[in-house]
Amino acid sequence: MGIEWKNSLKDAIPDAKAQKKPILLDFFNPG
Amino acid sequence: MGAVSYPDKKVVDFVAKNMIPVQVRFDEQPIASDFNLRWTPTIITLDMEGKEHHRTVGFLPPEELIPSLLLGIGKAHFDNNEFKEAIESFDKILSGFPGSHSSPEAVYLRGVSIYKETHDTRGLKEACETLQSKYPGSEWAKRASPYNLL
Repeated sequence: MGIEWKNSLKDAIPDAKAQKKPILLDFFNPG
Repeated sequence: MGAVSYPDKKVVDFVAKNMIPVQVRFDEQPIASDFNLRWTPTIITLDMEGKEHHRTVGFLPPEELIPSLLLGIGKAHFDNNEFKEAIESFDKILSGFPGSHSSPEAVYLRGVSIYKETHDTRGLKEACETLQSKYPGSEWAKRASPYNLL
């Protein structure tokens, strides 16, 4: 299983606060 | 990144344990403008409030990506005056990935974190000595060179 990406910073911030973890934000070009 | 580094099991495990991962297209707005995006891949470490602390542009293989992410985590702690936690992150880089390109900056910021935590200048001097002995060609060795006079 790969990385379980979220697709929104708004979704990630509550999880980051709850789990006390920093956020990895990746910008990609689908090509 | 998507073909090589992100599928790597060590990267998957590291991210699952240590970070909340978010992936967005380069042209998604307003986030691309909010973060002044100009090129991909761009990888940014944010704290839990969404504030940026570290970014890299360009491909990183797994053995460079993990220490780069650790550097970002350490810098997030450092910027938030959480120096013990910052030192823990920098130590993980230096013990697990001593040959990585993130290591010289980790040595430097580790020394500054020790100084901030203890107000003892030995942390700065030791960082300078480590950089000059192990990473003499790095820009961080030059940046730390004044601490040799302490």
